[in-house]
Amino acid sequence: MLQAGKATKVIVYLSDGATHHGVPLYASILDFLFYRGISGATVTKGIAGFGADHRMHSSHSVEISDRLPIKIEFIENREKVDAILGKLEELVDSGVIEVQETTVAKSVQGAKAKKPTSPAHLKIEGKAEMMRIYLSEEDQWNDKPLYKALVEAMRANDIAGVTVYRGILGYGAHRRLHKDKSLLSAHHGSVMLSAIDSSEKLRAFLPLVDQMVEEGLVVFSGVDIIKYAYRAPDAEQSSVPSGSGSVSA
Amino acid sequence: MKEQFTARMLRIHFGEDDKWNGQPLHEAIVLKCKELGIAEAIVFRGIDGYGSGTRTRRTFHWLHSKDAPMQLSIIDTEEQIAKLTPQLDAMIEEGLIAASTVEVIRYSRTAEKIAAPA
Repeated sequence: MLQAGKATKVIVYLSDGATHHGVPLYASILDFLFYRGISGATVTKGIAGFGADHRMHSSHSVEISDRLPIKIEFIENREKVDAILGKLEELVDSGVIEVQETTVAKSVQGAKAKKPTSPAHLKIEGKAEMMRIYLSEEDQWNDKPLYKALVEAMRANDIAGVTVYRGILGYGAHRRLHKDKSLLSAHHGSVMLSAIDSSEKLRAFLPLVDQMVEEGLVVFSGVDIIKYAYRAPDAEQSSVPSGSGSVSA
Repeated sequence: MKEQFTARMLRIHFGEDDKWNGQPLHEAIVLKCKELGIAEAIVFRGIDGYGSGTRTRRTFHWLHSKDAPMQLSIIDTEEQIAKLTPQLDAMIEEGLIAASTVEVIRYSRTAEKIAAPA
């Protein structure tokens, strides 16, 4: 977390519509900052402006409302900024990166600052449930693959663990046979997600599944957890527990 | 549309090289399921494992697999599964079938029912 005192503020000026590997550039940069542990970043969209090309962009007029200015700001200590600046420069192929010295007067985090030292799903013993979700690989949710979105959602909801399997042949609700003709471009296959956790946790997650899955099959079966081991979390790195269960029934 | 019912799930384990009438066994079973109107069938290729008999089923390279272990999972109502099992008996020479009773929620975009669950 950011400490009060001397710090460095970085402002990146871009234009809307710039992309990086097919996604908006600001989103790529934001992800990059997030994964690199920057303490916070804000993206704002300008309503008018001009850049190096000296063309006016404004939201008032439709003709010139493309490529509106976007500003990404973040504050971090000098070392961290220096460490990421190189990659950031690579990402920003057109625009301006401004670095300025600043002073952090106050930096506090809410009450959630202290992470529980152990994950909420630490203890699962004995009877548990296995939830399998069968989907088509091309199902989308908010512009991302549904199976990916579900994994993220499960992670956010502290489900102990989930694994995605890609089927090599199969069919589901549609009666369309999914077959991967070539292993390398297996894009339209069936996938299965398998998650194991306590019955309550999985059932509490169901309403979200309801919302996200338009077509598919959700299967519940009882399992006995024989062993649930995880590596002790080192420092604040959230542990990724390795769950193992054995199917009974 | 959302339906909720109790169903049976079969998991069939065999080898990738297994054949039935000259066709890969997993393809033959999936086609059979489709023919019988089974709700869901999906085939997974294992990356390592062993099965009945003593031979090890191991994929040395996932693209050039050598008799990889296969798992086929099939889900439908008890009656539908009962229709399928005699067929499986005839088709599977070597392998294992595990059955369990499961609770199913099925989501479908279309209102039309595919197979009316009991």
